[in-house]
Amino acid sequence: MRIFDGVDRWTVLLYLLIVAAGCLSIFSASYDPEAADPFSFDHFYMKQIVWVGFAFVVGLVVLLLDDRFYHMLAYPAYIGGLLLLLLALAVGKEVNGAKAWFEFGSFRVQPVEFAKIATALALARVMSEYSFSISRPGDLMKVGMVICIPLGIIILQNDTGSGIVLCSFLFVLYREGLNKWLCIPVLLIAALFIFSFLLTPLTLLVVLILVCTLSEVMMNGMWRSRVVFLAGIGLTAGVLFAVAALIAPGAIDFYHALLIATLLAVVFALVYALRANLRNIYIMLAIFVGSLVFLPTTGYIFESILKEHQQNRILSFLGLRSDPLGADYNVNQAKIAIGSGGLFGKGLLQGTQIKYGFVPERHTDFIFCTVGEEWGFVGTMTVLALFCLLILRLMRMGERQEEPFGRIYCYSVAAILLFHVLVNVGMTIGLMPVMGIPLPFMSYGGSSLIAFTILVFIAIRLDASTRQFSWTNHY
Amino acid sequence: MNGGADGFMRMRTLQVVVLLVFGILAARLCYLQLFDTKYDELAKGNALRREVLYPPRGEVYDRNGEFLVQSRECYDLMVVARDMDRRGFDTALLCSVVGISRDKLERELRKAASYPRAPHMITNYISKEEKLRFDECNFRGFYTVYRTVRQYPRKIGGNLLGYVGEVNASILRRYPDYQMGEYVGVSGVESAYEPELRGRKGVRIEEKDAHGAIKGSYMEGRFDTVPIPGKAIVCTIDARLQLFAEELMKGKVGAAVAIEPSTGEILMMVSSPTYDPDELVGRERGNNYVRIMNDPRHPLFNRAVSARYPPGSTFKIVQGLIGMQEGVLKPSDRYPCNGGYHVGRLSMKCHEHPSPLDLRFAVSTSCNAYFCYVFRDILDNPKYGSVKEGFDVWKEYVESFGFGRKLGSDFLNETNGYVPDRAFYDRRYRGSWNSLTVLSLAIGQGELGCTPLQMANLAAIVANRGYYYIPHIVRHVEGQDSLDRRFYEKHYTKVDPKYFEPIVEGMWSSVNVDGSSRGAQLPGLDVCGKTGTAQNPRGRDHSTFLSFAPRDNPKIAISVYVENGGWGASAALPIASLIEEYYLTDTIRRPWLVEHIKNMNIYYPVYDK
Repeated sequence: MRIFDGVDRWTVLLYLLIVAAGCLSIFSASYDPEAADPFSFDHFYMKQIVWVGFAFVVGLVVLLLDDRFYHMLAYPAYIGGLLLLLLALAVGKEVNGAKAWFEFGSFRVQPVEFAKIATALALARVMSEYSFSISRPGDLMKVGMVICIPLGIIILQNDTGSGIVLCSFLFVLYREGLNKWLCIPVLLIAALFIFSFLLTPLTLLVVLILVCTLSEVMMNGMWRSRVVFLAGIGLTAGVLFAVAALIAPGAIDFYHALLIATLLAVVFALVYALRANLRNIYIMLAIFVGSLVFLPTTGYIFESILKEHQQNRILSFLGLRSDPLGADYNVNQAKIAIGSGGLFGKGLLQGTQIKYGFVPERHTDFIFCTVGEEWGFVGTMTVLALFCLLILRLMRMGERQEEPFGRIYCYSVAAILLFHVLVNVGMTIGLMPVMGIPLPFMSYGGSSLIAFTILVFIAIRLDASTRQFSWTNHY
Repeated sequence: MNGGADGFMRMRTLQVVVLLVFGILAARLCYLQLFDTKYDELAKGNALRREVLYPPRGEVYDRNGEFLVQSRECYDLMVVARDMDRRGFDTALLCSVVGISRDKLERELRKAASYPRAPHMITNYISKEEKLRFDECNFRGFYTVYRTVRQYPRKIGGNLLGYVGEVNASILRRYPDYQMGEYVGVSGVESAYEPELRGRKGVRIEEKDAHGAIKGSYMEGRFDTVPIPGKAIVCTIDARLQLFAEELMKGKVGAAVAIEPSTGEILMMVSSPTYDPDELVGRERGNNYVRIMNDPRHPLFNRAVSARYPPGSTFKIVQGLIGMQEGVLKPSDRYPCNGGYHVGRLSMKCHEHPSPLDLRFAVSTSCNAYFCYVFRDILDNPKYGSVKEGFDVWKEYVESFGFGRKLGSDFLNETNGYVPDRAFYDRRYRGSWNSLTVLSLAIGQGELGCTPLQMANLAAIVANRGYYYIPHIVRHVEGQDSLDRRFYEKHYTKVDPKYFEPIVEGMWSSVNVDGSSRGAQLPGLDVCGKTGTAQNPRGRDHSTFLSFAPRDNPKIAISVYVENGGWGASAALPIASLIEEYYLTDTIRRPWLVEHIKNMNIYYPVYDK
C-alpha cells in the first residue's frame, strides 16, 4: 500500500483523539437516561458516530487521490465554492438569521465549511505561481481578491462569524513574507472597525493617520520627512479651520478641516510616491483610503446590518451592557459550567449544568463546556494541548514541503483551526464575543466534521506525497 | 522570502503566536476553573434547590400536663420568580385556592421578581385543606413549605406565654443563624425559652433542571439533614387557676401572682387586662396586633413583672422585720397612735383603733404610726452616726428581700422596681434631709416601686420564714434533667428567720382575729394576710393584698394588685382569697363573691380618657 507511505502518523493520531473526545462530549451532552433505547439513532451521539464513520471514509478517499489532483482542482473548487455560497444566498435556508444553509430533509449543510477548503486551495495556488511576489502590489491585490470575494458573499449571507474566519489567512500571508508593517496596521484597523462605533470620527481619523504614517515610516525609514508631513497636515487643518472661522463662523468644524487637509495630503503623498518610486506607499495609501471610506459605514453596519442579538453580543462582550437572563445568558451559563468543573471535573454524565440543560447549544457551539464541567481543568488542558499540537504539527508539515503550494495550504489549515479554536473556546470563557462557529472535530454536525476532515487530510496527502518523493530520491 | 533565514524567523514568530493564543486560553481557564470559586456556587444555585424543613416548635404544658400551647400544622406559599411559567398562569384560581386577594398576590410577585432566583414567600398560614387543593393544581414555580403555628386551647396567659413573630432585621443582626421568614419567640416563655422551643431546621437538597423541574435528591441525600423538633416545656402554671384568676381580674387593671413558697414555682401570673393569645397568630395577626397596641390599657404590657407599684401597707412587714433584726424593735414594744403620727407640722394619719399597740396588733390592724416609729428608729440608730448611714443600712435590708433589683427569674422583661438611694434624696433635697423627710417610705409610699412579682416573692419569704427560691415559670424542659442551678438555691434575706414568727402571727390574726383582712378567712386553712392601700396621685387608691396559706407548711403565697381598687380589703383581698380557696380546696364556696368580683368594673380615668 504505497498510498499510506509518508502519511504523518502524528497528525492522524491527534485527529483521531480529538474526534474521540468530541464523541464522548456529545454523548455526555445529549445522553438521556430516560430514553427507551439508548442506541436509537434519534440521539445526537449515535448520529455523530455515523458521521464519524462517514468522515473516515471521506478521509480515506482524500488520501487515495493524487496530490497533483488538488493542485489542479484549486481553481474549479474555488469557483464551485463561490457558486455554492451564492446559491445559498439565493435559495438557502435561514438559520439563526444567517441565510447560509442548504437543507436536505433533516440534514443541513453549510456551504461555507467547504468554501473554506476551496479558498485555502485557491490561495495556495495563487501564491505558488512562479512569478508571484508578495511585495508586489498587484500580486497582493490578487491575494486580497481571493480572500475578499467569498468574505463579501458570506457577509451578505449575514453569517459574519464564519466570514471572519477568512481573516485568519493573514497568518499565512505573514509566513509568505508579507511585510509586518502591513500586518500590524491591518490588525489595528480591524480592531478600529470593531471599536469604531465607540469613538468619535475625529479620533478615528487621527488614529488612522498616525497608524498609516508610522507603518510607512517603519517600512521606508526617513523619520524626519514623515514628521514634517504629519506637522504639515496638522498645520493645514489648523489654518483652514482658523480661516473658515474668520470668514464664516461655524461653517466648518475641525473634523472637516482635518479631512480636507488629509485629502490634500493624500494627493501630495501620491505625487511623492510617484517621484520617489516607493511602491509600498501605494499599498499604504490604498489601505488608508479604503479605511476612510469604510470606517463611517461601520456604525451603519452595526445599526442596520447586524441583527439585534449580534449587536447585543458585541455590546455585552465589551462590557457595555449586562443582561444575565437575556443576551448574556449563554456566555454566563457557559462560564458557570466550565468554572464549576474545578481541577478534575465532575465526572462523566455528572455535570449538572450540562445534564439539566442550563448551557444552551451544549452539543454544538458550546461543546467545550461539557469538557470543562465534566473533566475539569485537566480535561480542558488536554483538549487544548491536542489542538495546539495538531496546529504546530501542521505548521511543521508545511515547513517540510518542497513546493510552496503544500506549505501555503498547510499553513492555511493551521490558521483556520487556530482561529476556530480561539474564537470558539474564547467565547465559552468570555474572551471573545459569541460568534456561531463550531469547535473543529468536536461540535456535533456532519458537514462541519466532514469539511474539517477533508481540510486536514488534503494537507496530510500533500505532505505524504512530498515525503514519498524525497524517499524515492534517496533510495 | 519564503525560505531561508527570513522564513525560519517567520515560522518561529508564528509558532510563538500559536503558543501565545493557547497560553491566553489556558490562563483564562486556569483562573475560571481553579481560582474563581464563585462559579461553583453559581452552578449549585442553578442546579440545586435547598428546601428548608422547619421543625415543629416545642409545645408547652401546664403543671398538670394540660396543653397551654400546641403546634398546629400550616404551610407557607413560596415562589421562585425565575421558575414561574412565563406564559402566565391562572391567578384567580391561585388566589381562591389559598385565600388571598389578587392585589396581595400581584404585590408579592413584583417583590419576588426583583430577586428572581430567591424563594419568596407569597403568604403564610395556609391550612392543610388549602394546601392539598393547591397541590392538585400544580402551579409552576410555586410550592408550599411545612410550618407550625401556635394554638392556645385555653386562650389564657397571653403575656405569660408570650407570642411568636417573624424574624425582623434587628433579630437578624443579633442572631445571624436565623433567616428572614422564620418564627421567633418575641415575649414571655416563647422568648425566654426560644433555644429549647425552636428545634433545629433540616434541609433537603434537590437537583433541578433548567426548567425548574425536580430531578431527584443531590448526592443521594448525603448533605440532607432531618429537622429536630423543638423540646416540650412543662410550665409551673396551673392552667385552671390561671383561667380562674384571669376571669376574676377581668375589667380591672393590675396583676396577680401566686408562688409555691417551697419551690419558687409560679402557679399563676395574671397581668390585667390580658388578650387572647390566639389573636396574635395567623393572617389577622398584624391587624390584631395594632388594635391591641392601641388599646389605652396596654394589654401587651406585662404588669406582673414590668409595672412599678407603691407596695403600700404590705411593706410594713419589711419594716417590722428590719427593726427587729437591727435591735430597735421588740415584738412587745408598744407605741401610741392618736389617729396618726404627728411631729411638728408633719402628720401621718391613721384609722381608728385601740392604742397603744404592740407589733402583732400593729401588723394585724395596719397601724401607720407604729411603723413610723420603727422606721425612724432604724434610720436614726445612733450606731450609724447619721441618718444617711442608717438609710444605707435600711436600703441594703430592703434589697435583700428582692426589691429594687431583678429577681433573676426566667422572665426576660422583668424590671428592677425602684428603691431610692441616698444620692437620690441628696439631689432632691440638696443634701439636707432626715428621717422625717422620707417618712412616707415607712408605710410603703413615696418613691418605692415594686413589681407584683416582687410582692408575691415577699409573701413567699414570709411564708418560708426568711428565704425564697427565685420565682420561675418553667418546671421541666424535655430532655433536660434539671433547670438552671439558681432555681434550686435558697436565698436568705438579711433578717434572721427567728424574727419572722411575730410577723406571721400578726398576719394570721389580721385574717383570723382582729385585723384588716378578716374577709380572707377560710375555715381550716389558716390564711395569713396583709392588706395594702397605696395612695396615688391619679384617682382612687390602689388596692393590694399579700397573703399565704396555710400558716404552717404553706402551699401558696400570693400578691394581688388592683389599680384604683380602693381599700386593700375591697378589691385585692377577695380576689386573692378566692384564688387561694380554689387552689387549696379545688372548690368555690362563695359563688356570690365570684359574681361580685366579676361584675366589679373599676373606672380608670388615667386610661379611659
